[in-house]
Amino acid sequence: MSEATSSPEEPWPVRVVSQKISAWIGKLGWVWIDGQVAQLSRRPGSSTVFLTLRDPSADLSLTVTASRDVLDAGAPGLEEGSRVVMHARPEWYAQRGTLSLRADQIRLVGLGELLARLEQLKKLLQAEGLFDPRRKRRPPFLPHRIGLVTARASAAERDVLTNARRRWPAVDFRVVNVTVQGPTAVPSIIGAVQSLDADDTVDVIILARGGGSVEDLLPFSDEALCRAVFACRTPVISAIGHEPDTPLVDWVADVRASTPTDAAKRVVPDLADELRLMAQARARLTQAVRHRLDREQQRLDAIRSRPVLAHPHALVDRLEADLHPAVQRIRRSVEFRLTRAESDLSHTLARLRALSPAATLARGYAIVQTLAGQVIRKPASVGAGDALRIRLAEGELKAKVTG
Amino acid sequence: MTEELSYEAARAELAEVVTKLESGGGSLEEALALWERGEQLAAICQARLDGARARLDAATQPND
Repeated sequence: MSEATSSPEEPWPVRVVSQKISAWIGKLGWVWIDGQVAQLSRRPGSSTVFLTLRDPSADLSLTVTASRDVLDAGAPGLEEGSRVVMHARPEWYAQRGTLSLRADQIRLVGLGELLARLEQLKKLLQAEGLFDPRRKRRPPFLPHRIGLVTARASAAERDVLTNARRRWPAVDFRVVNVTVQGPTAVPSIIGAVQSLDADDTVDVIILARGGGSVEDLLPFSDEALCRAVFACRTPVISAIGHEPDTPLVDWVADVRASTPTDAAKRVVPDLADELRLMAQARARLTQAVRHRLDREQQRLDAIRSRPVLAHPHALVDRLEADLHPAVQRIRRSVEFRLTRAESDLSHTLARLRALSPAATLARGYAIVQTLAGQVIRKPASVGAGDALRIRLAEGELKAKVTG
Repeated sequence: MTEELSYEAARAELAEVVTKLESGGGSLEEALALWERGEQLAAICQARLDGARARLDAATQPND
């Protein structure tokens, strides 16, 4: 019956295998288990209650059976979604070959305890450096594509999409809809975050969820989710609930937005704002260059208006002016000499004229000459009958000496 | 005659030329040569400023 090995010639019967499995499973013994109730069925008339106990962080579950008494004693208000701690051991149901846990104590985990655990988890994650501001990455100024993890058709989804498109109409989203509440929320969100992180076209991820009770937001404080967000290569923006809500993922995310609308504001710039800023910058730029140009023009104008450049003729004019007196002096001296020569001439002429007998003749005097031209000054110079020439102002006469 | 002079270099040389001219030394031939150089430098400066203004206008026109 208890052969060490099996072979095709000597296979083990089902009962042997079943017994062996039962023995292996029995070795685990009693354990305390933390989990979330995914399903609960109390069958009328049956003293046994069936539970599906899920891991809150991973997509796996176990079936639990307990007596109605155990449930009523430890967790009378138990319902689907409740967090429980139970004392149980695995049992093998040989008839059907199924495994389940048999619980002999079930305790409901209250909100207070959940929050206390969160506080502990927060300290642990902080100590590990998951909240370290130096580890945070800046989302791109203008992302090519935004990954959005949110519930289908939720207000959070609409707030993010609407506000982001209003600010930057060309914004591109890849939306992954998830369950944000209940036992399957965490694995669903982690899966979405990981698939968006693996998508190279997505360069920022938004985790968005509208407001809810503290319990509703618990998946966003889950340790596995926090670690998955921390492991992302892509910057993550968390936008969970309302302003005062700070689930742990807010601390791990690279940017914490207070609401989904705030996330939209942080993920894309406002096109109108950017255009206005750019127009302002361009105007200032142009203004600065124009100002500089004007100043240079003034400087150039100032140089060009200096007399040497503005009136280059002055260069020559000045030299000409220097030349002028010399010319004047030359001219004057020449003129003076001319004048003097002229007056000399006229004096000479006047003297010449004064010496001439013509003026005397003109006054009625006459010059008496011999025919030979000898001027007769005394009567003894001639005898009777000599021929004489008499010169008058306007001609001459011939005469004869008679006595 | 376009020299590869920067605006600043041309302006600095122009200022120098003007100072020399104003000091009044040198022969007439030299003064005229200086004046010609000054005019040429001033033209270069103006061309640079005009060019800059044209580029500015071309860059801003489609937006205004």
